[in-house]
Amino acid sequence: MNAVGFAWRSLVRQPARATLGIVGVAAVGALLFDMLLLSRGLIVSMQDLLDRGGWDIRVSAGELPVDSRFIPNALDAAQVIAALPSVEAALVIREAEAQVDRISGPPLRASFQGVTTRSSTSVGSALRAPWTIMRGRDAEQPNEVVVDTDVASSAGLEPGSQITMRASCLSDLEALPVTRLQVVGIAEFPFESTSENTIGGTFDALQAACGGNIGAGANLILVRSTGDPDAATAAIRASQPGLRAATNTEVLGQVQRTGFTYFRQISSVLTTVTVSFAVLLITVLLTVSVNQRLGEIAALRALGFSRTRVVKDVLAESALTVGIGGLLSLPLGLLLASGLDRILKGMPGIPAALHFFVFEPQALVVHVALLVATALIAALYPMRIVSRLPIAATLRSEVMG
Amino acid sequence: MPVAAFAQTPPDILVSRQLAESEHLTVGTIVSLAVDAAGTGAREFRVAGIYEPTPDPARLGVVPRAVRLHLPDLLDLTRRADVLAGTEYVSSVNVALTNPAEARTFARDVNARLPGVLARPATEAAGAAGPFQVLERFHLAIAIVTIVAATVFLLALTIMLVDERRETVGVLRLIGLPVRRILVQILLEGLLVAAVGAVFGLVLAVLSEQLINTFFQWRYDTALVFVRVTRDVALTSVSIAVPLGASATVVASWALLRRSGLRLARR
Repeated sequence: MNAVGFAWRSLVRQPARATLGIVGVAAVGALLFDMLLLSRGLIVSMQDLLDRGGWDIRVSAGELPVDSRFIPNALDAAQVIAALPSVEAALVIREAEAQVDRISGPPLRASFQGVTTRSSTSVGSALRAPWTIMRGRDAEQPNEVVVDTDVASSAGLEPGSQITMRASCLSDLEALPVTRLQVVGIAEFPFESTSENTIGGTFDALQAACGGNIGAGANLILVRSTGDPDAATAAIRASQPGLRAATNTEVLGQVQRTGFTYFRQISSVLTTVTVSFAVLLITVLLTVSVNQRLGEIAALRALGFSRTRVVKDVLAESALTVGIGGLLSLPLGLLLASGLDRILKGMPGIPAALHFFVFEPQALVVHVALLVATALIAALYPMRIVSRLPIAATLRSEVMG
Repeated sequence: MPVAAFAQTPPDILVSRQLAESEHLTVGTIVSLAVDAAGTGAREFRVAGIYEPTPDPARLGVVPRAVRLHLPDLLDLTRRADVLAGTEYVSSVNVALTNPAEARTFARDVNARLPGVLARPATEAAGAAGPFQVLERFHLAIAIVTIVAATVFLLALTIMLVDERRETVGVLRLIGLPVRRILVQILLEGLLVAAVGAVFGLVLAVLSEQLINTFFQWRYDTALVFVRVTRDVALTSVSIAVPLGASATVVASWALLRRSGLRLARR
């Protein structure tokens, strides 16, 4: 019988302690796995949000990724940007406050995003806003809009319904007439937080909703390069010195340096604590287990088991405990991650589509590597005990005892 | 940008410690402030003091390069040419009440009398989803998982330790000690071990508290306190750890004590 088979029988012989050891490793492993998912989850998720729709450069009047300042003469600026040789298309995003009437209850406050594309190519002109259509189709006409699922459920809207709203583009104090638009789709807006309601449509639809009183400014211009975002960004900076342009990678780098460092740090601290905790506890479990079986191990040595063989048995027992616990930790970790993600997404201003815990193959590789290291380190001391076990003295002590 | 010469004493400002350090500003330095990088409408101010910004977990990692001005000075500096003095807006007004217990009533009155103004008691301003509350819930969830894992390991360990003493327990049963008496002894032992463990854990927490705070305060250049072992936290930890440890010992011993003394004492 090989070392693994022998270790398996040792575990099966003591089912209660083996089960508890494995369950303990599974719980600690789940936490460890989650911390690994957390360490890069926000970055991966943010990258996904930024890349949605294929827009690889963002142009703003202030600091990216978020700034409340308006881009002056945004349509003209977008036209100039779209004409650059390294740019395929530019999408102007203008936001306004809107109040949606409901059959019952007070009006629903929402943000109305009006978008328009500027491009010198037919492919570029066909590019759409970064929102994802869940049902129905995208808004294309000045009397059409798409709404998020919250607006749809709160106001009882479906594709084909009429939406009644009052939008204010320039000031909250505007008293604008009621506008009726047609809902043609239900969409998911990438940077919408859980507490926000959003409506999307064309620039013309927003203009219609605001009674033409929209101004020349916009919140953001998204740009798609012809393939080299760095060159396109440099060209935009040269042609629009008053604006800030950054590639998605640069925005992500900035976010990485500032916004989410706390979670990376906390995940590093908890990973270290969790691994130390697991090493300590498995070492204690194995040591106590080995100490209880010293007579048995000495007898095996006397029967001809080599020193290497009994050391391998202990290592295999550690590997089995950690291995089975580690396997169980994966589904458990994913379950726990979804719960923790829900908790953290309760933070104000966090986009609903952003996730703190994101699975990556890299995280799984690190998880497995840390568990292998845990199994090895935890087995070191008990392996030392069995390797230095004096056979005759141990057997005599067992008999005398 | 520091300015050397000035005709009359300019208005006072405060600068954040981080800005003072990065720009080498000291109390008394005259600086020029403008609303844009081009220096439009720049005015001179005197650094009257350097302050430590109130730590904000939502802006962790962002170095607070901030300046505090008297409101009239700020409005003078930022007022557009087409805006009349006195018609500017402010984003918020903090109100100190003579009786803080009336905050909710006061907020209700303001909301009724001033349409367009939203008044809220400071305690409710962060809401149920403020960053602190969310982080607290997150840490609580992590703590629960840790407790579950620790309990399972503890149970495994106590089962092994109790098993090691099966002969002793068997002999005690054979010489006439009732199960309840042995169980009380085991419970007392468990309580003692758990209490010592809890105290050791608290000492470790207090020692690591300083270490963690020093590291994170250095890392983020903030005065935010990340870990604080308060009396309540210590009491909660002890009130969970001690009963848990003692219960684990009793639960692990129970299966053993149900067996007969002869069976336990037999080798």
